[in-house]
Amino acid sequence: MQTQDSISGYGGEPKLNYLTNGSTLKSWLLTKDHKRIAIMYLITVSLFFLMGGLYAATIRLELLTPASDLLESATYNKVFTQHGILMIFFFLIPSIPAVLGNFLIPIMIGAKDLALPRINLLSLYIYWVGGLLTLYGLMQGGVDTGWTFYTPYSTTFSNSYVMAVGLGIFINGFSSILTGLNFIVTIHTMRAPGMTWFRLPLFVWAHYATSLVMILGTPVIAITVLLLALERLAGVGIFDPAIGGDPILFQHLFWFYSHPAVYIMILPGMGVISELISNFSRKKIFGYEFIAFSSIAIAVFGFLVWGHHMFVSGQSMYAGMVFSFLTMVVAVPSAIKMFNWTATLYKGSVSFDTPMLYAIGFLGLFLIGGLTGLFLGSMGLVVHLTDTYFVVAHFHYVMVGGQVIAYLGGIHYWWPKMTGRMYSEFWGKISAMLVFAGFNLTFFPQFILGYQGMPRRYASYPEEFQVLNIFSTAGASVLGVGLLMPAVYLAHSLLFGKKAGDNPWMLPGLEWRTASPPPTENFEKMPVVTWEAYEFGEESGLDLEEARRRDASVVV
Amino acid sequence: MSTHADSHEHHHSPGLQHQFEDMGQQEESVSIGMWMFLVQEIMFFGGLFTAYLVFRSRYPMAFAAGSNHLDAFWGGLNTIVLIVSSLTMALTVYYAQKGNRQLQVILIILTMFFGAVFLGVKAIEYTGKYNDGLVPVAGLNKKVKAAPGDAPAEAKPCWEVSHNYDEKPPYVNPRGDFQWTDCSLVKLGQDNNYLTQAERIGYFSNGLIDVNKFRDKVQMFYWIYFVMTGLHALHMVIGLGLMAWLLYKAWIGTFSAEYYMPVEMSGLYWHFVDIVWIFLFPLLYLLGRHFLH
Amino acid sequence: MQTTSWVPIFPEQASTFAWQVDLLYFYLIAISVAFTIPIVVAVFYFAIKYRETEKYATPEEMHGSMVLETVWSIIPFVISMTIFLGGAIVYFNQFTPPDDAMEIYIVGKQWMWKAQHQTGQREINELHVPVGRKIKLTMTTEDVLHDFSIPAFRTKMDVVPGRYTYMWFEATKPGKYHLFCAEYCGLNHSGMGGFIYVMEQRDFDNWLSGSVAGQTPVELGRDQFTNKLGCASCHAGGASQRGAVLEGIFGKEVKLADGSTVIADEQYIRNSILNPGAQIVAGYQPIMPTFKGQVTEEQLNGLVAYIKSLTPGAGSNTGGGMQPAGTATTQSGEESPLSAPKANRGTQDAPGSNPNTPVNNNR
Repeated sequence: MQTQDSISGYGGEPKLNYLTNGSTLKSWLLTKDHKRIAIMYLITVSLFFLMGGLYAATIRLELLTPASDLLESATYNKVFTQHGILMIFFFLIPSIPAVLGNFLIPIMIGAKDLALPRINLLSLYIYWVGGLLTLYGLMQGGVDTGWTFYTPYSTTFSNSYVMAVGLGIFINGFSSILTGLNFIVTIHTMRAPGMTWFRLPLFVWAHYATSLVMILGTPVIAITVLLLALERLAGVGIFDPAIGGDPILFQHLFWFYSHPAVYIMILPGMGVISELISNFSRKKIFGYEFIAFSSIAIAVFGFLVWGHHMFVSGQSMYAGMVFSFLTMVVAVPSAIKMFNWTATLYKGSVSFDTPMLYAIGFLGLFLIGGLTGLFLGSMGLVVHLTDTYFVVAHFHYVMVGGQVIAYLGGIHYWWPKMTGRMYSEFWGKISAMLVFAGFNLTFFPQFILGYQGMPRRYASYPEEFQVLNIFSTAGASVLGVGLLMPAVYLAHSLLFGKKAGDNPWMLPGLEWRTASPPPTENFEKMPVVTWEAYEFGEESGLDLEEARRRDASVVV
Repeated sequence: MSTHADSHEHHHSPGLQHQFEDMGQQEESVSIGMWMFLVQEIMFFGGLFTAYLVFRSRYPMAFAAGSNHLDAFWGGLNTIVLIVSSLTMALTVYYAQKGNRQLQVILIILTMFFGAVFLGVKAIEYTGKYNDGLVPVAGLNKKVKAAPGDAPAEAKPCWEVSHNYDEKPPYVNPRGDFQWTDCSLVKLGQDNNYLTQAERIGYFSNGLIDVNKFRDKVQMFYWIYFVMTGLHALHMVIGLGLMAWLLYKAWIGTFSAEYYMPVEMSGLYWHFVDIVWIFLFPLLYLLGRHFLH
Repeated sequence: MQTTSWVPIFPEQASTFAWQVDLLYFYLIAISVAFTIPIVVAVFYFAIKYRETEKYATPEEMHGSMVLETVWSIIPFVISMTIFLGGAIVYFNQFTPPDDAMEIYIVGKQWMWKAQHQTGQREINELHVPVGRKIKLTMTTEDVLHDFSIPAFRTKMDVVPGRYTYMWFEATKPGKYHLFCAEYCGLNHSGMGGFIYVMEQRDFDNWLSGSVAGQTPVELGRDQFTNKLGCASCHAGGASQRGAVLEGIFGKEVKLADGSTVIADEQYIRNSILNPGAQIVAGYQPIMPTFKGQVTEEQLNGLVAYIKSLTPGAGSNTGGGMQPAGTATTQSGEESPLSAPKANRGTQDAPGSNPNTPVNNNR
């Protein structure tokens, strides 16, 4: 593998890359380099994922038997609440945007950094402060309100650490607002010469849509959680039914953010998948504009459907119908993406590297997640299904089967760029397949449980639900193994992985036209883009012949 | 859209940051960033305005009653103060662009002065509420034990309690609770048959006006009042911090015709905070006053 | 009904909504299959047929197709509209209670369901309804959000403090069906439920008149204790239980909150059930609701007998010291369960207190 470095478009190993440029703690903690910030996010997000995962494992173990024997229901309530809070606010929402988006958006558009690097560092620190405050709440005794914090339980009745955790989430919200703001500014003003809007990788489009949601939605949950915390502190407030306040208003405000937040948790994943499908088919993505605009459409319509979380909450029947209608409409852009991804494979040159396995897994899981979303948007059906395990299964299919799978695919795909090392392809494939199988084993039975009527958030349940719960727990152990494996072989690759080279797959994106790992300034000189997005032929300027010679020279 | 193709004539301006090619790009970035920030601020206050609208449309009488105990004089004065401060802020930007250091400094000081006046008036108003037992949080009002000689308050129906301050019985509030005795507006609404559905349930017990239930709704008005104006005041405090920083920067002569973005951006923020008040003032102080006259 | 040897896929169809909802469900499954199979087949077929044959090949470019995009936007839209319409019709039925329905009041509280029939009978954690009659439930809660959920009827509805919500159904099949609380409501959320008993009209009439057949007092009492009245949700469960420990107390001295002591005899137990606030055991909150008017004398005797049986050696020979009065279910109508649903104030974050201790917010 010694010849490969010379075929990079901007040749030559740089003397310093972003990882070696400064090794003191200060050089990390006070860095303005988006790549270092992304790495710090990666580490933090992984720790939160691990914690959330341990909570998940505890939940599945408790549900192995009908009685609440492993955990008392008081403990169980805290466990599922904290699983939700950590996974949603501290893992899923920052996962792809703050790690992959942070690392790649400037490189993909040919910029030296994000437009507002200090704000970027600030948002990392805000994330840390919010996370620490939340962890403090958990250490003190935890919170048992469910991640949705429904009033009046959360304001008046719960005797757990709602204040600390609520304020942690409030603070963390500003991290996500500032990240979104930074992305929008960057995508508007920092594109390299020739990088027109329609030459942007779809990953960037997806992040543009995500950022819109972050800016428009997150402040609403911030004020809602703040009102909740103040109400707890003061003992009076607008959500308190005892004085004529309205607990349903809380749900409206909460879901006004939290439904669009669902799209924060899937749009970036769709962006990653667009990259993977196109690049590993070596074929221009089918219907570029449709995929790009469907992201924006999802972001916009996402703000109009929050009421579908409240079909049985006592909101008016006609409001329910409007929300149901809009929910059906928002399904269409997702369907468009699905068809375009499938069509991209047609007459491509499909290779099955680890990231592509994740992408194909995503197609299957997101398909099921999306279609079961229709079940839950159809009012007549949702009355029966809401608050049951059907809902649990559905959103895990979207969030885990969608976002987490896409995140893992993206991490594998860009790992050589981020670290300069190649992981073990063998273990990568094994892990991708285990995750896919384990995931389905865990969550498919929950659809059936849900239709049978097993309510969610139950520490104990009637005996007839046990068989499927055992299936689910068994599947979860497979999933757990599948998810732990990358931690091992990716860490191993850092020390022992072979050098990846600048462009191991010979792909045309700008991120593959700089060194691996990239230098602090990303590019030695400002790139000028003369090719369309996903151009694999001669126009892209890649020397494929030399790449073939490179491969041939490697003794396998 | 902006590309930075013609980026070769770098004449490094003092404020140009490393990630940008030229000042134009930097200014565009900072400006879009600030506008995005203001958009999120609008959404932030939007949640509060939504809450206000929901409860105002449910309990208009309680909101009118609460509103009548806010002092439109102080509120109006503050409105004028903020509008003038917006003028001085706008002039600051203008003179920063001109590179006039002296006027910049004076105008920033003036802006800060008006900001401080605003907060001072707010403090006076809050103190008044504290003294009148109108802080919606139990225990946070002035605590006054009943004097032993005082005659117990005569048992008048609550709708005959005068809303006139002078005729009020002496303030007695041993535990510092939220206090409200006057439900004349409920009676008015009932007599004229314009109570909302929520009010017909929310103010009455067994068909009679229940002053405690009415008090709860007025308390909600004051809760919203304190949260909205409190968060607004917090924004003012942040604004004053920004101004102090600007003052320092202007003092050492940072800003010039080429580099004045920080002034302009701080100005945007300041105007935004003013505009929020322009909405808060009529909604909280003025709407519903006519019920009294 | 509730226990089957096989893994059930569908809950029983026991109301007039059930077939509608199931039909909609099958329709959606059919659509899902109709989408999933072609896409999965296409993905696999394309991926294998066009797999990489030469490293870094450059397949022919394709830009997309307006026709295809239009087709695959419109078809999903049309299909989703059929789903919307189907759902809306079923939903409209579920949310429009008929005028001639028999009305029952439901009150949720942490963590039990209280029901009151028009005729005055009260039930806890269960609901007896006749088959083939339209039933309308008018519901509220004393504290937090709950959700009255009956999977076999395919219907559920949140109950909201400070307001009424409604649901209705018509049961079609006699039997015993699960009742769940489906909206998370705190500590014992998963224990807040019971059964719906759907009965033939004749049986229902019998039930109304209060006949209970063939149980010994202890059995009857145990049934009341664990199932019918929900005593077990507070008085059993070990360390975290909220009510006084009953095991082994019979005949012993009990220390009361006011410092006095009393012998836990039949009379004391009876009083404590009917008038719980009068003699509070030291160390417990006065949170128990009165069961006056909800238990017949017969059931009361059964309860006393059962509690007695929890103390080994106390003997459980009779139904207690009182003569069984044997009257029918008390038809007391005082204190409507719907009077003034008022949320109780809870404790705030108290950093010093142990958050694992369940709070007793209800007074």
